[in-house]
Amino acid sequence: MEKNNHPIDDIKVIKSIMEQSTRFLSLSGLSGISAGIIAIAGALAAKFIINGPVINAANIIQNVTLPELPGKTFSLLLADAAAVLVLAISSALFFSWRKARKKGSRIWTPVTARLFLNLSIPLVAGGLFIILTLGRMEGSIVAASTLIFYGLSLVNAAKFTLGEIFGLGILEIATGLLCLILPGYAFALWVFGFGILHIAYGTFMYFKYKG
Amino acid sequence: MKDLLSNINKAFESRVRLGIMSILTVNSQADFRTLKDILEVTDGNLASHLHALEEAGYIISEKRFLNKKPNTVYRVTARGTESFRSHINALEELLKQKK
Repeated sequence: MEKNNHPIDDIKVIKSIMEQSTRFLSLSGLSGISAGIIAIAGALAAKFIINGPVINAANIIQNVTLPELPGKTFSLLLADAAAVLVLAISSALFFSWRKARKKGSRIWTPVTARLFLNLSIPLVAGGLFIILTLGRMEGSIVAASTLIFYGLSLVNAAKFTLGEIFGLGILEIATGLLCLILPGYAFALWVFGFGILHIAYGTFMYFKYKG
Repeated sequence: MKDLLSNINKAFESRVRLGIMSILTVNSQADFRTLKDILEVTDGNLASHLHALEEAGYIISEKRFLNKKPNTVYRVTARGTESFRSHINALEELLKQKK
């Protein structure tokens, strides 16, 4: 073991090891990009379910009151939402798992356990909130709730992974609040929050952290 | 200058020991496997450094069984935290002097 290292190298080693042992650093930019693409596809599918095949500027910003939808449309929307959730989460996990494997890191560590716990608490609370109030709320409030609770999850989880996630969380919360102020633009804002922001952040992180 | 060097702790000169102390300072505890994975060292090398730090009273170990396999968990002691902090401060002071 080499002795009498230069102090600046020692400090660098200390800093990097402290970070490595408390943060999951294999979060892949591709996870964000894939989740964003899936969210946009899911949102377009939802528009198709509600408005039929014609998608134009007018019905993009048109608002929907969920309680007024016929039962069959409602079930289709729920299936669409569930599919988006499952596909987005599994693709995000897949790309980060792949990145961790490439770097030779273990995937399930005390750090990833803490990351999942902190991500899940606001996310599960939000999911239950939405399920329990569904059918009683306007589409714009449902959209706002998904954005706000998701943003809170990211803010809460940011301490255990790449720090940029904190900023993404704040932007998701802001987009959700904007949804409540401008309910007419709820659909476009949802696409922005879950689609565009994910793709933009994912691309940025892909280049910054090389993968 | 003499004061500065007296705070540079010989026990932390090796990179492995520096690494062990770094991990245990920011985590309430860590097991052998976790330390080994992060520091990328051999079992024997890690064990001897852990032993030296334990002898010095900077860390404590606790043997337990996890899924019927022996598992040793390490924690930093108050004395270890204090010494490591002075060591880092001394490194930073040294840097300032060199500038």
